[in-house]
This record gives sequence, C-alpha cells and structure tokens, in this order.
Amino acid sequence: MLSAEGLSLDIHGQSILRDVSFEVAPGEVFGLVGESGSGKSMTALCAMGLLPRGAVRRGAVRFGGEDLLGAGERRMCDLRGRQMGMIFQEPMTALNPVRTIGDQVAETLLVHGAAGRFEARDVARERLARVGLPEERFGLDRYPHELSGGQRQRVCIALAVALRPRLLIADEPTTALDVTTQAQILDLLRGLVDEEGMALWLITHDLAVVADMADHVAVMRHGRVVEAAATERLFRAGRHEYTQRLLRDSRHVPKRVAAVGPAPVLEVRGAVRDYPAKRLRLLGPRSMFRAVDGVSLDIRAGESVGLVGESGCGKSTLTRAILGLDPLQGGEVRLDGQPVHAGYLPGALRARMQVVFQDPYGSFNPRHRVGRLVAEPFHLVPVAVSGRRQRVAGALQAVGLEPADMDKFIHEFSGGQRQRIAIARAIVIRPKLVILDEAVSALDVSIRAQILDLLADMQQRFGLSYLFISHDLGVVRAITDRVLVMQAGRIVEQGETGRVFEAPQHGYTRQLIAAAPRIPQDWVG
Amino acid sequence: MVRFVLSRLLSLALSLAVASLVIFAVIEVIPGDTASFMLGLNAAPETVAALRAELGLEGGNVARYFAWVSGLVVGDFGTSYTYRVPVSELVTARLWVSLPLTLYALVLSTAIAIPVGVIAASRRGGVADFGIMGATQLGIAVPNFWFAMLLVLVFAINLRWFGAGGFAGWEYGVWGGIKALTLPAVALALPQASILARVMRSSLLEVLGQDYMRTARAKGLSQGQAVRAHGLRNALIPVMTILGLQFSFLLAGAIIIENVFFLPGLGRLIFQGITQRDLIVVESVVMLLVFAVITVTFVVDLAYAAIDPRLRRAK
Amino acid sequence: MRLPGQLVFGAVLSAVFLLAALVSLVWTPYGVEDLVISNKMKPPSGAHWLGTDHFGRDILSMLMVGARTSIAVAIVAVGIGMALGVPLGLAAAANRGSLLDEVIMRGNDLVFAFPSLVIAILITAVFGPSALNAILAIGIFNIPVFARVTRGGALSLWTLDYVLAARVAGKGRLRISVEHILTNIANLLIVQGTIQFSLGILAEAGLSYVGLGAQPPVPSWGRMLAESQTLISLAPHVAVFPGLAIVLTVLGLNLMGDGLRDLLDPRLRRAR
Repeated sequence: MLSAEGLSLDIHGQSILRDVSFEVAPGEVFGLVGESGSGKSMTALCAMGLLPRGAVRRGAVRFGGEDLLGAGERRMCDLRGRQMGMIFQEPMTALNPVRTIGDQVAETLLVHGAAGRFEARDVARERLARVGLPEERFGLDRYPHELSGGQRQRVCIALAVALRPRLLIADEPTTALDVTTQAQILDLLRGLVDEEGMALWLITHDLAVVADMADHVAVMRHGRVVEAAATERLFRAGRHEYTQRLLRDSRHVPKRVAAVGPAPVLEVRGAVRDYPAKRLRLLGPRSMFRAVDGVSLDIRAGESVGLVGESGCGKSTLTRAILGLDPLQGGEVRLDGQPVHAGYLPGALRARMQVVFQDPYGSFNPRHRVGRLVAEPFHLVPVAVSGRRQRVAGALQAVGLEPADMDKFIHEFSGGQRQRIAIARAIVIRPKLVILDEAVSALDVSIRAQILDLLADMQQRFGLSYLFISHDLGVVRAITDRVLVMQAGRIVEQGETGRVFEAPQHGYTRQLIAAAPRIPQDWVG
Repeated sequence: MVRFVLSRLLSLALSLAVASLVIFAVIEVIPGDTASFMLGLNAAPETVAALRAELGLEGGNVARYFAWVSGLVVGDFGTSYTYRVPVSELVTARLWVSLPLTLYALVLSTAIAIPVGVIAASRRGGVADFGIMGATQLGIAVPNFWFAMLLVLVFAINLRWFGAGGFAGWEYGVWGGIKALTLPAVALALPQASILARVMRSSLLEVLGQDYMRTARAKGLSQGQAVRAHGLRNALIPVMTILGLQFSFLLAGAIIIENVFFLPGLGRLIFQGITQRDLIVVESVVMLLVFAVITVTFVVDLAYAAIDPRLRRAK
Repeated sequence: MRLPGQLVFGAVLSAVFLLAALVSLVWTPYGVEDLVISNKMKPPSGAHWLGTDHFGRDILSMLMVGARTSIAVAIVAVGIGMALGVPLGLAAAANRGSLLDEVIMRGNDLVFAFPSLVIAILITAVFGPSALNAILAIGIFNIPVFARVTRGGALSLWTLDYVLAARVAGKGRLRISVEHILTNIANLLIVQGTIQFSLGILAEAGLSYVGLGAQPPVPSWGRMLAESQTLISLAPHVAVFPGLAIVLTVLGLNLMGDGLRDLLDPRLRRAR
C-alpha cells in the first residue's frame, strides 16, 4: 500500500536519508527501528510531505500506486488526515492548548468536508469513546491541559483516525509514557488495526515494542535501511551485524560479582514527605499531598538496589529526601549510621553520597570546563588544589576518558560521554553511595550497554553501593541485586531482583511486569 | 473562572491601595507641610493656615490619607488651589481629550501591527519580512514627540491637511475632534506599532514551530488553515501582555504629545500643576494615571484567561 | 565566528555617539554657551556643519555635549536597574514560591504601574526639575524590568540538573546563584541592558522635552527639540538634527542588542 523506493533526502545540503526502500502492506503493522538520529522520523515526514524548509527528496514514495513526492500540496492536504493519519512522540505538546479536545477531533472531519458541524461532533464523540475517552468521563469540551499524557495521546489517535485512514503513522507514540500506559496505547493501536483494517507504521527505538507489535520490521542506521524482514525472522536470524549488535545491546547484562558487605550504608525508616497541594478555594485551607508515605529501605555496602515505579509514584521525591535536599515530615534517613537532615548536613557526611542524573545535557553548567565540573564535589572535602587536578584526571581515566578532556567544554562531548563525565563527578570524592536517577534512560541501547558495564566496573573497583532508580524494568533487572517497587508513595514489594521478576507477589508488580513489552525468549535463544 | 476573577480583583484592590499610599506619601508627607510648600518661602503664616483649611490639609497624615481616599472613591478629588474649582471638574474636561487620544492610538497601533506582524512571519526571510523588520527597527528608534514635530511640519505646515494643533472640543463636532487628534494619534501609534508588530512576528514564528501545528498539518490542514485555526490565537497570548504595557506607554506618551499639539489634556494640566505648585492637581492626575494602568493590567489578566484556558484555574 | 552585519553596524553607530560624547569632554567645535545672536538659525555650512540654533550656538557642538547627557543618564539608569533588579530577581528565583518571592514580585508589579514619566512627575513636583530626576525616574522603572528578566531566566536554570548536582556538592543558594545562575544568564542581562540603555535615551529625551530632565544650561537633545519646536517652519534643521541624533543612537543600540541576542542565543549556538 505504501512503499518507498530509493528514497533519499537532503536538508540544506546535508544528507539525511540515502536510498531507503521498504513496503507497508495493507492491514499490517510495519515497524521501523533505529537509534536516535538514524533518520526514522524523517522518513515518515517525507511520506507525509511535512518536511522542514530546505529539504530535497529524490526517489519515490508510492501510496496506493500514487507517487507522493510528485503530488501537489493540495493533493497532500487531501490525503493527510483522510487517507494517512499521523501521531507523534510528545502528547503533552501535540494538542493545541487553547481549543477543546472535541473541537480538535471534529476538525479533521470539517477540514475534509466530510461532515457538517453537528455530525462532526457526533463522530468526534464516537471516536473519542473508541479510543477510551467516553463522553461521560471526558467531555468534548475538555481542554488538553486537563488530561494526562496517556489520555492526550488517545486524543491524538482519535483525531488521526477520525476519518478511518488506510494508514496510521505512529512516531515513537509511547516513548514519553509510563509502561502501563504504553501497554494500553499499544493495545489500542493493535485493536484499531484489527478492527478497522488500518495499516500501522510504527516508528520506535524499542526493539521489544516492535517484537510485540510488528508483522514486518526494517532496521535503520545512519539514514539507510540496513535490514528488513518479517519480525520473527529478523529476531531469530537477523544477518546484518548492526541488527545483531542492537539485539545484543538491548538485552545486555553487565558482568557483576556480588560483594555485598553486612553493614548498611543507607537506612531509611518510615520516610514521609508532604507537599502543599493547590488550594481548592481562594483562601481555603491548603491541603497536603503525601508524595512519600512511610517508606523504609536499607542498602548495604557494595549492594545495588533498584527502585522502580511509574512517573509520579514519589521516587524522585524520595531521592531528593535521601540526598538531604528536601526535609522529611516524618521518619528518618541515616547514612553510615548518621542522621541526614536537610539544611544542615555536614560536608563530610554529604560527601559519602553522590548522584548521577538522567539528562546528559542539563547535568552540566555549559560555562565551566570539564575539570571544574568534575571537581565540584571537592567543595565538601578539604583537598589541596594541586591534588584535585590529579584526582579529577584519575576519575576521568576511570570512566574511560582522557585527562586532557579536563580542559574541554561540555558541549564538545556526546550524550554517552557526558554520562561518563557525570559518573566521574560522582565518584571523584569516593562516596559510598551513588544514586543513579534514571541514569541510562536517555541513552541509545548501544551506549546504554557501555554505561551499564562501566557502572558495574566502578562498583567493583570502588566498593560502591547503588540506588538505581528507573522506570525501565529490563535495566533494573540487569544491574541490581535487590529491587523495590514503589506505587503512590509506598513500597509495595521488595526482594531479591530475580525473585521479584520471576514470582512477583503484589498485584501492581505483576501488572508492571506484564505491561513491559518483551522479546519472546525463544526468538533470541 | 469566578475564583480567578476574584483573585485578580483582590490583587487589583491591593495594588491600588499601595499605589495610593505611595503617591500620598510622596506628595503630602515628604515635602513636610503641603500648604507652605505650595505657597513658597515668603508666605505669611496666616495665608498658609487659610490655605491649609481651604484644602482640607489639617490633621494627621493617617486621617488625611483616609479622607483623601474616601474622597477619591466618590469622585471628590479636592479643590485646585490655582483654578479655584474642584479638581474633578478639571480632570473630567481634560480626560475627554487624553483618553480618546490614547484609545485612538491604541486602536491604530493594533490595527497596523497585527497584520504587519502576520505578514512578516508568514514571509519569513523574504523581501516583505526584511522590509518590515527594517521599518519597525527604525520606528522603535524614533521619539514620538519628534515624529509629531515632523508630522506637523509636513502635514500641517507644508501640506495644510491638518491643523498644527489645538483642540476646539467635541461639542463643535465629532469629526473635527477626530481630525484634530489624528496627527497626535499617528505620532503616538507608529513607534508602538513597530514594537507590537515585532512581537506579533516572533510570537507567531514561535507558535509555527510548535508540535500542535504539525498535528494540524497531519490532519490535512494547509499551512494557511493551520495558522488561522491554531496559530493566531496562541500567538496572541504574548501580544496581549505587550498590548497591556502599551496602554501605559501610550498614556504617558499622550501627556508628552499633547505638548507638541497644544492639546488641552491631562498632560497640560499636570505640567501647569507642577509649575504652579498645585500639588492637589498633580496628586489627583497621577493617581488617575496609575489607576488607569493598574485597571488595564487587570483587564489584560482577564483577557488572558479568556484566550488561554490553562489560566482559568491558576492560583 | 562570523559576526552578523547588524551587530557590526549597530556597534559602529553606537560607538560614534559614545566617541562624540567622550570627545566633547575635551573639545567641541564651538563653546556651547557662546551665544552669537547675529549668527542665529544659520543652515548647515562649512563653518557650522549642522548649522546654528536660535541663539547662534553651533548645533554640532550642542549635540556632542547632549550625547554626554543622554548617555550618562541612560548608563546610570541601567546601572541602578541592574544593581537592584538583578539581586532581587536572583533572590526571588532562589526562593521560589516563598514569601520573599511573592513580596518581590508584587513590588515589581507595583513599580510597573508607575511609568517613568509619572515617577518623574512625582519627583519633580516635590523636588523641582533636574537631570537627577530623569536618572532616578528611569532607573526606578528599570528595576522591575531587570528583576523580571533575571527571575525568569534563573527559574528555568534552577530546574536543571546541574543546579541539583551543585546542591548535592553542598553548595548553598547564594553560591549557586552566583556561580551557576548568574554566569548563565549574563547573556540575557547584556542584551536586556542594551535594550534598556536605548529605552533610557528615548525616555531621557522625552523627559527633557517636557522640562522634567536636564535643566539649562546643560545641553540635552530633548530640550534642544523643545526649544526648536516653534522655529520648525523657519529653520527645520534646528529640529531635524537633534531628532536624527536620537534616532541613530537608539537604532544603533537596538541593532547591537538584536545582534548580540542572535550571537549569544543558546538555541542557535548549542552544538549537539
């Protein structure tokens, strides 16, 4: 139904796609996978004719026999929305904030002259109900900001499929969503394909999602399709070296030798953290929102403990409390047996814990050189300036960078290298505990595998304890000894990692594990 | 929505209260004795006392402040020392010049700026955009009172299309009044329109890059349809802020421009007040100006909420 | 790095006026207090490049000294705005949502309700007119402008992980504000400073024009325009040149500000 033949794309003279060919058959799910920058989104925008200025396309994209590259803008407007719909990665910004959801769904019909104003509203009502937003609970006059990310993505789907197009292009539709929401959205998409005979072109970086959903898969790298095949065949017998590496890296488990000592490094007892919520009435009493509700946990020396949960479950709040950045309203945090109080934490105690954040771009002051960035924790411990430079050099070497990198600025490094620098900053004063807050979540699988190896190596060399916070169950499973599952401010289950994943006890844990897409065991041997 | 309006009203009342305190403090407390300040150094004590009684300046600061404010609320601004008439009469007469002038300029500025900004944004990088950006850059740099002088030179003195100044009054015909206010309004409006057009342009460009514009295109809207249906309303949100600020600039500008055209507006009144040390007049007019600015801020806040549903339930 | 044309053009234009102001400290073609009534309202000539005014004073000389007044008033006013506004904005952002933040922001709103002309009127009504009034009036108006820009820029930085990392490294709010926040909003402040500088020149001209600014015999562009107003049909050049001086200075500063913004904009600069 849709096919690309020798498609190439240049933007302002820079080559983005080279000789891309693939085919999407009617009623099937076609998966296009690749790491960031591989050109997979651009391929979709090429087909939709929504490229930025300065784009030059060559080759052909055929849709039902018609060459889309040759079609005029008027014809493309006619096809978009009616024959081919598209949804995007970021549901939080994909809807117009000042117009109601009913309006935005009905607009698809109105703009194509497919219905009158009232009829369009009826269809919008029906389509919103179909995507799981029945009018009783989600009126047509709601605004996007009143909905959650998953609900907004449903609205996007509703307006994309309002006219029952023959093809729906979904560009990373669940990347910004939690795992249980992701499962629901993927379910919804699957159902639309089955019931309405629509084809789905699913673009993602996540091999497990593709394994779960797609009939056919193409793998992209550096603007080329390196391999394409039926899904099962690609996973079982992918020939291309890159495909194999991608598969390997996505399931990578770093080698670790458990060396857990008996002494607890971190003890959290009954931690409670309240936030003032928005006032319900003007001058009314402020109600409190309990983000962390009686959490207790221990981390022993050399142990790696995972904390999993969905966004808003309180794991970030808990992290900030452990780090002594925010005060607790109840309970206590002890590091090496000494109490951690927000506000007056002695430097020597604070120096025993450090943190690595998710965003490799926002984690560094762009105005300082790497040497100064890595040296920042020396603020906590008295170390002579001459000694600092040497230790910074040592830390950089430990994470696989050069001492000479000290004199560079952070923008000269890639995302993976930045995460190495973040780790260097965390270990430079030899803390006992390192908190890894979604530390590998923003990385491509190949980089992620390398960073996981590095983390395992650091743990062994410096005898570190890790608190590994992540929404990604696969990663937590690969690197932790014990895992805690958090829901709505409480720890609902904890135990040895293998045990929790094999035989989850709590309903929520089971739900999380069931929701996570998986590559079938027998496909990958 | 009701909650939003109430909270804005509360903040409006608070701002007015604090502003009136500041003005009162500067005019009636800092100079020491207002009456002797107004009369100068050589005034006889009896005259000063008489004036103090006449102006109602007797009593402590707190009592005087409340007397002044409660007068303001019912429209009693006190009596002008130089004109010997109630200030409210003076102010009302002058308002009929200054307010129409400000609004005229505001309408003119908006009517020019928004289309111009939209054109520049939709032809980004083109000749029209380049020309508009150049012209607005120049427009921002021109002092409005000098521009007014040039307008007088060209359109009043050389071409004789308009009078060089003066204002007969609305009772001699609305058309005549509008004509007399046209050159001043143009002089006020063009520099402000330049700013507004640039804001409109950059705001629309920002909106054009948003994800929801891509969603709209993916539904099958053409670029033009997407801009009209989704772009403009979002782009107007930052424009509103500037529009609110412009009101106070135009009002202040009107006070200056009145000088160029010899218009009998608030500007003339206040400058006469200053030279004649008629502090009661100065105090009243300043309070009126500040009241206007604060009220417009309040209206802009409400307009915000009307445009942007996200604000309706904010704090 | 290639410098954008408008930045260079704007910088050159601004530099010309700055230079004129500086040169006027030691030399002007004629004395600005030399009244030669017989030589009044002469059009531009070899002897008087920009002609003479109604007292026979050399307009070029007056413009040069007037530039000094304008620039001095605008610079000091920007200085007042920055010196008070930036720390207030930093403090408000560092204590977001606290009472301090609320008080600072409400105070800002209040000052915004007083246009600099109104402040000047209030000051003049009580203390009489002077150039100091203009400086104070414009400077006070600049405080909330800088406070707002600083707070806005700082708030977005406070959410970044590197600030959190600095807190984990035990650094306090004050130290973070100086070390991490201020250094990263410096661009923003430089650009805003240029804009306020040009607005200051316009405002000073306006205040002097209505007699609330610099008093005779200190030459100022705004007052030169006020004095030329009645002569405009007889000798347009007396009114044209001071106006052009204002326009070109403000234009130069604005172009420089826009150019700096483009040059320093992290969105354009960030190399990923």
